[in-house]
Parts: sequence; structure tokens; C-alpha cells
Amino acid sequence: MSSNCTSSAPISASKTKTKKKHFIGQKVKLFRASEPILSVLMWGVNHTVNELSNVPVPVMLMPDDFKAYSKIKVDNHLFNKENLPSRFKFKEYCPMVFRNLRERFCIDDQDYQNSLTRSAPLNSDSQGRFGNRFLSSYDHRFVIKTVSSEDIAEMHNILKKYHQFIVECHGNTLLPQFLGMYRLTVDGVETYMVVTRNVFSHRLTVHRKYDLKVGCHYKLHALFSKEAKELPTFKDNDFLNEGQKLQIGDDNKKYFLEKLKRDVEFLATLKIMDYSLLVGIHDVDRAEQEEMDVEGTGEEDEYENDGMGGGVLTGSFGTPPDSPGNPLNCGGFFGPGEFDPSVDVYAIKSHDSAVKKEVYFMAIIDILTHYDAKKKAAHAAKTVKHGAGAEISTVNPEQYSKRFYEFMSNILS
Amino acid sequence: MASASSIASAIASKTKTKKKHFVAQKVKLFRASDPLLSVLMWGVNHSINELSHVQIPIMLMPDDFKAYSKIKVDNHLFNKENMPSHFKFKEYCPLVFRNLRERFGIDDLDFLNSLTRSAPLNSEAQGRSGARFHTSCDKRYVIKTISSEDVAEMHNILKKYHQFIVECHGNTLLPQFLGMYRLTVDGDETYMIVTRNVFSHRLSVYKKYDLKGSTVAREASDKEKAKELPTYKDNDFINDGQKIYIDEENKKMFLEKLRKDVEFLAQLKLMDYSLLVGIHDVERAEQEEVESEDNEAEEEGESDGGGIGTPPDSPSNTLDSTKPLSPGEFDPSIDVYAIKCKESAPRKEVYFMAVIDILQHYDAKKKAAHAAKTVKHGAGAEISTVNPEQYSKRFYDFITTILS
Repeated sequence: MSSNCTSSAPISASKTKTKKKHFIGQKVKLFRASEPILSVLMWGVNHTVNELSNVPVPVMLMPDDFKAYSKIKVDNHLFNKENLPSRFKFKEYCPMVFRNLRERFCIDDQDYQNSLTRSAPLNSDSQGRFGNRFLSSYDHRFVIKTVSSEDIAEMHNILKKYHQFIVECHGNTLLPQFLGMYRLTVDGVETYMVVTRNVFSHRLTVHRKYDLKVGCHYKLHALFSKEAKELPTFKDNDFLNEGQKLQIGDDNKKYFLEKLKRDVEFLATLKIMDYSLLVGIHDVDRAEQEEMDVEGTGEEDEYENDGMGGGVLTGSFGTPPDSPGNPLNCGGFFGPGEFDPSVDVYAIKSHDSAVKKEVYFMAIIDILTHYDAKKKAAHAAKTVKHGAGAEISTVNPEQYSKRFYEFMSNILS
Repeated sequence: MASASSIASAIASKTKTKKKHFVAQKVKLFRASDPLLSVLMWGVNHSINELSHVQIPIMLMPDDFKAYSKIKVDNHLFNKENMPSHFKFKEYCPLVFRNLRERFGIDDLDFLNSLTRSAPLNSEAQGRSGARFHTSCDKRYVIKTISSEDVAEMHNILKKYHQFIVECHGNTLLPQFLGMYRLTVDGDETYMIVTRNVFSHRLSVYKKYDLKGSTVAREASDKEKAKELPTYKDNDFINDGQKIYIDEENKKMFLEKLRKDVEFLAQLKLMDYSLLVGIHDVERAEQEEVESEDNEAEEEGESDGGGIGTPPDSPSNTLDSTKPLSPGEFDPSIDVYAIKCKESAPRKEVYFMAVIDILQHYDAKKKAAHAAKTVKHGAGAEISTVNPEQYSKRFYDFITTILS
């Protein structure tokens, strides 16, 4: 991408006599994107993280922090028109809370800012329920989901308890890592966005992806998602139909299920249900093959240099030339199927004795459906339909959580 | 990131990520005694940061002289300690002033630091019509509160002013306009303009004159004389037998600049400007420093001459990191208006002289005169019998005579 312009035009008509002695190696960020809303998102995250850097970190969060927001309205005239709309608004909900959450999830604010602003976020192929729009940061570390105002309200309802839960489990959870929540207004249209950590790897390609839920008749219900066009669509429900499992070994299984149990119990106490387990599978051998194919044809397609098994093929995994400069990328080379667990926090290697050498990414997603809201909708519409796979609600959150846990524990070995 | 985070991390969080970025930014709280100053600090910080994301154009376009950036902040239960919850900040012609700062040898980040590291200080100086003054914490810049008419006049002259600066390579005695803003706090709008300080950021001025070259009522009032640093005027200058002892070379250079400047002002039909003169007495300053060192227990004991305090963290300002200066010495790239006295001067002095208050347009004056029969401008009423051309000549002649 071309966002790394240096800051001074070479043929400038000015005479600068002052030597620039400051040692801040900031690149010029132009917030250039294909759509105004993405530019505003980049500008907004850049602005809010900068604002926060001037607000001292408090010893602890106060109740008011969970009701707070920062709002800014920009109105430029004949200025900065190249990359940004002249008029837009940006609102951040509960800035102090999300800063604290980022810290608890070991995400440095500067890194967070860089990931979202150095280069424009990319459209993601995934579609959630209701056709929510997904974006990923250019470096694939974060996912930005467009949500509804009802989702925002629900987030506010659960935020205190969610935060408390994160404190208690020390950030060790399969629940979505909520990192920021915003409202953007461009051309009078309001868009709500929530930023979470990417469940999948920022480097390793995911070859198969499943969205697993508890169906209305206590059946495990898998929604398939198409990968990028280059990959075939998997119609086989391998491990569900044939009883195949994700072979991660006893230790990993135990550790995973402990977290899962805590998480679904928490969700049940909040009367939340209809969440899914998102599963992504990285096939190590296949990735090696894909990489060799690329090298063979000498493709110059956004080739990434940080070791073998690096995501090269699927369209969504290109990284801008400057990403090796991101300090989190300088962690040395990774062998095939290897990952940095502090970055790819959901990654689990397949057991040594497993049939296939794979890396699994598993976490809970879509946790904003509240039972009471569902019942209301059910009464209104007689049947509750939720996107693909209509479901008549015959479970309550407690039952849902129990079934969910049972099913997920069955797919692991 | 915030150094204060170390406190929080000891208690609640478990941060495993090492902060690898090499930006040594301090937390700026924009703390000030007055919400208006907090908003000014915030606004300048925001404006310079925004500009760092806008490519520097090869040359300015006509639209740049009509442009502005506006921002409105509305916070709720957030950041209430140092900032008001609701305020607006508007910057006029951001690209033009960025270009001007560059031409005046001022780096944007240094400009930013000067205005935001610590709150600007109230200045006793009073302009015409009681205009309010502040100086940046490091005394490099002066922030003047102006009227909306002044803002309009600035817009009128900005293109030609910029062109003049281009042609003289920033070498002028005219005010160095560095930024122009409108701040809205509690529904009140305040217009501010930032210029380079005529006086030194280090060397103290013990005597100050505002000279126009006219003789009508050009004397400091008793009220003025009671101030710590009164602004004396033409008659005071003459009656005091004051002289500016500079050598021929300096005098020649100074008058050349002055001539070009007043010709430019006359062309734009501007008048009623003054020459601001400040005198630094080297021996007197040394004496004051000795006295202040004796009192060091109570004060913040800054040792850079002239008893001028600087915030504790200013040594990290890159422009200060040069060798220490001896009494009466200055860095001409910072104190651009400073002129040393000549060898044969009776006292060792440093003079600071520049043109100020250039926004009064002749036509605006005449209109006001017709409305009110006599034209009054703050203290020192003047009946307008001169036009800009005459004013400039009379001004120039007077200044020539005061330089020995």
C-alpha cells in the first residue's frame, strides 16, 4: 500500500533552516481508504488513542467510566479534503474502560493504534448474523464488526460484569476480547463498530472454518462459511458426521474446557445465549505446499518475509511492506505451523500423535443476544428467526450453556 | 505512553507487552488556571497533530487562504479534570500558518511543545483596547486575544503578507504570525493569534517603549507607570534622553528591514502600528540573578539569567540543548530581534525592536471617524490627520533619529 509517504515534499519552495532534532519516528498517516467511513474509523481511533495518552491512567475504574463517552465533530473547509470527508463525527463509548480492557488483554495502545491506522482496514469475507459487516485491521490482528444500536445498548448492560469477569480470570478467556466501541457519523449516517481481537491468526491461513451453535433440537448445528474464492467450499461435515475430532491432546483439552466452562457459566448468569464457537483450522502441510507453489511461480503478491508457513495465499493475508517494522513482527522466524501465543492467543496445536498436523483457533463469538430480548421478539413474531437457520426458541440461557459446553467438549480429543 | 501507568500496573493490571516504541512523549494534561487556556493547549496540540497527517504541499493554493478546520468536543463523564466537557476549536488557514512557521524557522513540534508542555502565562502587557496577552511557558511566543474584526483583517492581508515573507526570506521586523484560532468555551468565542515574542525568552527586559513617531498624547499614564514593567511612549523616550546605542552595521541592516516593512504596510493601507522597544541591561540582570540565587530556597532557582523561570522539563526542548550562554549573550536563531549594543555604549545593553499592532486599516479608521467625529484608539487618542503613506514616513523618520 502506499501509505508510507515521507513527510516533506522534495521540491518544496520553502526554506527550512531548523534542523528537526526530535527523535519521534512517526510516519505520516494519511488515513487513506477506499471509503470515507474507513478513513473516519482510522482518524477516530488515532484521535481517541492520542487523547487517552493525555489522560492519566487511574488506579481503578469508577462507575461513571461505564457511562462515559467522548464525542468529537469535525467540520473542515477547504482543508484536508484528500483523504477525509470534510464533515464527520466520532464517538467513543467508555474510553477508560476499553483502555483498561486492552491493557488486561496485553494490547499496548500504540500497537492497537498502529494496527488500525497505519493502513486501511480490509473488508472481510465473513458475514455474521444479519449480514453484519466485518473488517479486519490491515495486519489481521483485530476484527471490526459493524453492530446495531441494540448491540451497543446490550454492551453497556453487560460491560461492568464483563469487565469484572476479565479482571477475575486475568484476561484468560474464550469470550470475545472487546477492545473498543465506536459510533461513526458520515454523511448523516450513523454506524456502530466494535473492535475485538481476531480469533484467527494474523499470519497462519485458516483453511476451514466452522461456526458451531446449539440447535433448537439440541443438535450441533454447523454453519459453513465460504473461504476466499481461491479455496473450494467445504460441504463435508467431516468431524461432525464421521465423529472426527479436533485432536489437541489431554492437557490442551483440559485447559480449554476449564476456560469454556467458566465462560458459558458467566454468559448464563447474564442470560445471554445463541452464541457460537468459532473454529478455524490451519492445515500445516497444505500451507507449506501453498507457499512452495507461490515461490515456484515467483508471484510477487504481497509476499511476507517472516518465515515459513506465513500466510501468503488467501487474498486477505497480504501485509504492507512496512509490517516487518512493527515490533511485534520482529520475533524471529517461525517454523511451519508455529505461532507466537502472545499474539495468536487462541491458537492450539494439534497433538503430536494426531492424524493431521493442524493448528486450531477456537473462541466464542456473538455474545450479545439477551434471552429477554429474544422472548420479546418471539412474542412479536410468533417464530424467532435469526438469519440462516431459523430457530424456535425452546431453550433458556442455562440450558443453552450446558448443551453448548457438552457439544464442544465432544469435538475435542 | 503515560508514565503514570506504572502506578496502575502495580495494582490492577498485568501488562506483559513491552512498550517497544521509541517515542518519549510526556503525558500532557493541559492543566491550566483557566479553561480557555486548557482549550488553547488542547487545540494547538490537536492542530499540529492533524497537520502531521496532511502532506506538505509544494506550494500554497488560493483555497488555503480561505480554509479552516473546526472541531467540537462533547465529552460526558470523561476527561473532566483538566478540560471543559464542551468546547470548540477552530484554526484559520492551517496550511498557510504551517508554511509561515517553516519560513520563520520554527519547527512544528517545537511550537507544539512550547504551547502545550505547560500552560501559557498571563502577561501584564496590554495592547490597544485592553487586548489580553499570554506568553508560552517558555516565553518564545506571545498569544494575543484579538477581535473578530482583526481576524477579518488578517484574512484580507494574509496572501500579501505571505508573499512578502517569501520575498524577504522571513527577514522582517513585522510580527511573525504563527497561528490564528477561535476558541469557544461556555458559549463564549475568543479569537487568538500567536506571534513570536519580540523580547527574549531568556534575557529580561527592564525598560519597554511603544513608539509611533507621533507627538499627540504619547506619554505613559500614571496608572501605567505603576506597573512592574510599564510601557513608555515617544515623549517618555525623548524626555528620558533614552538612546539606542548600536553600531553602523546593525543600524544599516535594521533600517533597511524597517524601510521595506513600512513600505509594505503603507501599500496595504495599514497604519497606527508601533515599534516595540525592549532594553536588557546586562549588569542589572547579573545583579538580579545574584539576588535570586540568594533566595533560592523559596524559588525554583533557574540559572539561565534574567530570573526567568522555566518549567522543570524544558531542558529537554531540543532548542535549549546547546551550550550555556554567558551574560548578555543570546542565540540569534531564537531571539531573532536581539541587537547587541555597540562597543562604545555607556552601559552594556541588548535591544529588542520590532513592529507590532499592524492590523488597523485606514478605511476602517475613516469609517469609525465619520461615525464618531474623532477617532479614539484606546489610551492615546489620535485625531486622524495622516494617511498610511504619511504615517509610514513619519514613523520611519522618527525611528531613524532614535538610533544613534
